Amino acid sequence: MILDLTDVTVSFTTGPPLRRTRLDAMRGVSLSVAEGETLGLVGESGSGKTTTSRVALGLQRPTSGTVRFDGRPFPRRRKDLAGRMQAVLQHPHWSLNPRMRIGQSVGEPLAVLGKAAGELVPEALEQVGLEAGFAGRYPHELSGGQRQRVSIARALITRPSFIVFDEAVSALDVSVQVQILNLLKDLQAEYGFAALFISHDLGAVRYVADRIAVMRGGEVVETADAATFYSAPEHPYSRQLLESL
Amino acid sequence: MSALLEVDGLEVDYGTARALDGADLRVAAGEAVGVVGESGSGKSTLGAAIGRLLPRQAVVAAGTVRVAGEPVLDLPPAALRRLRRQRLGFVFQDPIASLDPTMRVGAQLRLVLRAHGRDGRESPGGRDGGRGGADVAFHLARVKLDDPRVAAAYPHQLSGGMAQRVAIALAMAASPELLVADEPTASLDSQVREEVLNVVFALARQAGTSIVWLSHDLPAVARRCDRVAVMYAGRVVESGPAADVLGDPVHPYTAALARSAPAVAVPGVRLEPVPGRPPVLTGPSPGCAFAPRCPFAEDRCATERPEPVRVGAKDVLCHRAAELEVIA
Amino acid sequence: MNRTARVKRSRRLDPLSLAGLGCLLLLVLVALGSLVHAGGDPDAIVGPRLRPPGPGWWLGTDNLGRSMLPRVMEGVGTTLLLSSAAVLVTAALSAGFGILAGYRGGYLNELIMRVVELLYSFPAIVLAILVAAVAGPGQLAAVASIVLVTIPLMTRLVRAAAVAVAERDYVTAAAISGAGLPRILGRHVLPNVAGTIAVQGTYALSVGISVEGGLSFLGFGVQPPQASLGVLIRQGGTYMMAAPWLIIGPGVVLVLAILSINVLGDGLRDRFEPRETRSLI
Repeated sequence: MILDLTDVTVSFTTGPPLRRTRLDAMRGVSLSVAEGETLGLVGESGSGKTTTSRVALGLQRPTSGTVRFDGRPFPRRRKDLAGRMQAVLQHPHWSLNPRMRIGQSVGEPLAVLGKAAGELVPEALEQVGLEAGFAGRYPHELSGGQRQRVSIARALITRPSFIVFDEAVSALDVSVQVQILNLLKDLQAEYGFAALFISHDLGAVRYVADRIAVMRGGEVVETADAATFYSAPEHPYSRQLLESL
Repeated sequence: MSALLEVDGLEVDYGTARALDGADLRVAAGEAVGVVGESGSGKSTLGAAIGRLLPRQAVVAAGTVRVAGEPVLDLPPAALRRLRRQRLGFVFQDPIASLDPTMRVGAQLRLVLRAHGRDGRESPGGRDGGRGGADVAFHLARVKLDDPRVAAAYPHQLSGGMAQRVAIALAMAASPELLVADEPTASLDSQVREEVLNVVFALARQAGTSIVWLSHDLPAVARRCDRVAVMYAGRVVESGPAADVLGDPVHPYTAALARSAPAVAVPGVRLEPVPGRPPVLTGPSPGCAFAPRCPFAEDRCATERPEPVRVGAKDVLCHRAAELEVIA
Repeated sequence: MNRTARVKRSRRLDPLSLAGLGCLLLLVLVALGSLVHAGGDPDAIVGPRLRPPGPGWWLGTDNLGRSMLPRVMEGVGTTLLLSSAAVLVTAALSAGFGILAGYRGGYLNELIMRVVELLYSFPAIVLAILVAAVAGPGQLAAVASIVLVTIPLMTRLVRAAAVAVAERDYVTAAAISGAGLPRILGRHVLPNVAGTIAVQGTYALSVGISVEGGLSFLGFGVQPPQASLGVLIRQGGTYMMAAPWLIIGPGVVLVLAILSINVLGDGLRDRFEPRETRSLI
């Protein structure tokens, strides 16, 4: 297993000091992603999928439960993980630093590792279907779909074994969404990375995932093969999601 | 069937960018029409033009908009205000931003009811549309907001779904003849979305209100609207009965759109997206704007602007519509 | 397409801000001119005392018979120099503290913000007088006062901007790929709050000019015989009824400087921090 969440609970406390209330963003969540596999995570806002994403990325410590990446707990120093885990995040508008050229953004994970980018940046851009000339442009010159392609190139450049896609296509137009989803499938077939694909859209998740977990109210209510979600998911909430497609 | 809304050959520019490039749309009284298009297709501009709510930098280059026969774009200010007040209702994407943050919900609703009462028309509750909490409660209850605390709340105290229902209550309180809704459910969760949709369409049917529903989600729109109009690059490229447009699309763009939604994918079958991306127009398109992405394009598609062709019950903006109908 | 249009339009300053910039540059030029005594020797006695403007002393003469023109020129220079030096210090400190507080949050944030609030709660002039009392009247007191007066607001605004930037996906993505704090702050956060720093720096400059004016007017800042706008207004105040030109010269220049800088600041703000406009397409 590349990623293993066992009985993870994340609680936040809110409110004034004397009337603190505890809110469980995740309650007893267990998930695992095998090498080369795509796990889809479906849920609506407030379901806890954003917190799950942060836990999987090591950005949020669980209140209880264990998280193991590649068989070990998250290291104390983030640098020890550098290059092995990447993310493609939600908002194409904020996914790239507006003050950095595309080439710099794509090459950054390499710079973090202290490696020279060299020919790898134009290569990475070509892998996601962009011309090498894009390296010299700024994000505001690109469309939403192109920016998400750049984010994918940036995530791929260190050949990570695990990538989290958090609502990576949700803000894109339908016809562009499919372009990106197809790209993702192709790249995965070629490079064999494992992925956690998080979205509120069951259609998109079902299209790219091998297995799907459905979250609601901080809990995983159903986990099954993607095929199940084309026909007969068990949980009533999963059925409701299927019907609203 | 008399048309309540008639948009003819509307062309709108923002500086050098062209948002509408000859859009046509017809909505009959009591009809619900879904206008579907991707971002940049011009659907929001079309929606705004119906109430002459275009931003200041927008220039109407050609075309007319008529609501109940009145030329919206040429009305003097007083007549325009009267038209908006009596006949039009708007609901926008961001519900919280469309409410006045400094006023309680009930007060905002009373304001609308009073303005409406001044026109000397009866409120749909059959009561005097002026004062009293009962009327406010009635209008909130219509959008399934029964909690009396809602009327006393400020907009920021409401959830997105509640705020959008308040916005709908405000728009529907004046019982408009035409409701223009611009992606009003985009930011809502599926369960709330269904509720809000049910409320809007039920209210409209009850009051005989026509709806223009702007959205990027073709299947969701087709499920509830009588007719669907698909926009591409500032024009309506295909319009007709909802089931026909979704189930039996003729225009290559509509067909590709219907085919490429992840929701319709079959296990193990790869979706084929439309290659490329929508054009950014800087002036009138010389031919069909979809031609560069179209697998059926011929020479004339690049140079001749297509005119609507009647195919069955649909109007299709394609030179090869008749042939494609046979293929489909 | 709207976006590119907006970028093109906002790359330029509007005419009013350009006028402000021009006026400011003119004042800098005037100040530089005083270094070569372009308007005459500020300390030389050129004529009778308290004369109204006329040939030989275009802004009149003061109570010692010195021409006001070179003295105002020197005063503009002193005031601009002290204020800009102070604003550079403020900008550097605010950038450091604001970005750290905004990005790291937690106790560091609490500590920095409480100190800032404490400073903020003192009226500017009281703070300046306290500084002068501790450091002794003089140029150093003027600079330190301007820094202490301008630092709270700027730190707060830089922090707010940094908080917003810290939540953006490119910062998260960099953190996930293992980027360290120096890289994240230096490559991602700082360049994206630089606009805020530039805008607030401009406003701070105008605050600095008025603080210097006020402090020197009260006698805690720049000390005569060195001229600054505050010193000149203080000296002119004594003869306000008999020789109003002593106050009008430096007064007009002070107002002009503050006005042009504020106008420029507004232009920069629109340029760097455009409010999100609702786009229809």
